[in-house]
Amino acid sequence: MSVGGSAGGAPSAYDPKKLRMYGLVGSVVGIYLGAILNSALDTTVFSFIGAIAAIFAVVMGANAVRRVCAYGIGTGVPSIGMLALGMGIIAVMFGLSMAETLGSVLLGPIIILIYAGVFGYIIGVIANKVIKFNIPVMEEGNADLSMAGALAILGWSFAISGTLGYVDILNNVLMTGYIAIIFIAGGLAILHPFNANLGPDEKQDRTLVNAIMVSALAMIATGIAAIATQGLASGLLQLVIGFALWFYFFKMYYRLVKRDAAAVVGTGLLPPAVQ
Amino acid sequence: MNFDINTIVYILEILVGGLLVGIGVHFVPVGGAPAAMAQATGIGTGTVQLAAGSGLTGLLAAGLMMSVTDNLWLILASGAVGAGIMIGSTMLTGSWIYAYAVGVPFASAKVNYDPITGFSQPPYVAIGTVGHGIPTICFVSGLIGGMMGGLGGAMIYYPLYLINGNAALSAMFAIGIFLVNAVIASWNIQGTIEGFHDPKFKKWPFAFKACAIASILLALASVLITGGA
Repeated sequence: MSVGGSAGGAPSAYDPKKLRMYGLVGSVVGIYLGAILNSALDTTVFSFIGAIAAIFAVVMGANAVRRVCAYGIGTGVPSIGMLALGMGIIAVMFGLSMAETLGSVLLGPIIILIYAGVFGYIIGVIANKVIKFNIPVMEEGNADLSMAGALAILGWSFAISGTLGYVDILNNVLMTGYIAIIFIAGGLAILHPFNANLGPDEKQDRTLVNAIMVSALAMIATGIAAIATQGLASGLLQLVIGFALWFYFFKMYYRLVKRDAAAVVGTGLLPPAVQ
Repeated sequence: MNFDINTIVYILEILVGGLLVGIGVHFVPVGGAPAAMAQATGIGTGTVQLAAGSGLTGLLAAGLMMSVTDNLWLILASGAVGAGIMIGSTMLTGSWIYAYAVGVPFASAKVNYDPITGFSQPPYVAIGTVGHGIPTICFVSGLIGGMMGGLGGAMIYYPLYLINGNAALSAMFAIGIFLVNAVIASWNIQGTIEGFHDPKFKKWPFAFKACAIASILLALASVLITGGA
């Protein structure tokens, strides 16, 4: 067993509790930092911090997918990713709307986090008690997934709209339809890593690096959307940072693939720069 | 948000919609990855993809109808028919591929005789598989399931639109409620089912209970949000 840690019952090199702490703190702090910097300096340049904050949430979510799906849920890994995003979108809209009603925009992420955590935990309890899954980490895993989905959607929505205001997010993200991109790109970032890497040789670090790589791709997509909603400067900045992150983590992922594979035979399709 | 009798009606509508989605999933012949290799009966993809596909088509059809009328029955019928057409055409084109490209006879391994056509099934099931293709009984079951999903989607979308008056928000919220219920139901059937003749169909009360709890929680959240106007 190398440093990675393999799935089957999910022994892992990185403790899930630590990853959860990093994920929650990283994404919440990131979203607040971006929102406060944006509103204090009256600019939209710092919107990219929202997309980076989403990466923390995605890593936490991908790890939860890995833990739950290692038991085998029978419906394929994509179903749980879609569940995460389904729970997430409801938590985000509920939280932002409540924060608007209560009159303080900055309360949003906290309400979202609480609703997502409680609702995810209840779904986990239902899955174990009513559907009779009997997966020991189901409650915990679903709470993680729900919070990860919600914070990732919030992070990317903030990256596109540039504020945490409910009306702005409605007009810039939902009415324009960019939410569909967030939904699918975000779903991919959370469900794809384990789906792509699963098997007896699955290693935690490879799966999580894949998660960062896909969320950087999502950041490129939100960057393109941000060009339309916030103007060229802040959108392009987001796009460039997303591309740089993707490139760096793609190379890292490729290195891990070469570490874990018995042999890698190139087809010549990848340019030499990334190999 | 004023809490009155309408709010309770909205909550009940969302609850019934969620339950229709959850039960509808049990009717759709989901074969998963084995069906994609023609080693199991049903459509060769996962429950969530099928439920989401038919449900979202139902949402679109219901939304379109809602833009010209506010008659609940027309909107519900439009949603059900839209989703039924979607799942029906998926099964039809899937059948062409199974029949003419993969080259398998349509047979179910769960029943000896197709309850609708009365055709014998076991002689046509290839050794080592659990049926292949989409037999008549599965097709009919799938149509019922798709229409229930579309009806459920429309039933969720209608009250949401009346609450917040924002079509995009209502649609996304309905998709969220839809996905949660579809995934819970697909966990109940453990990924694959042939239709209402499958022994697994008898497990539907578990999904009913689970979807009821989840839908109530989602409905309580959805009546509280505003359209941002």
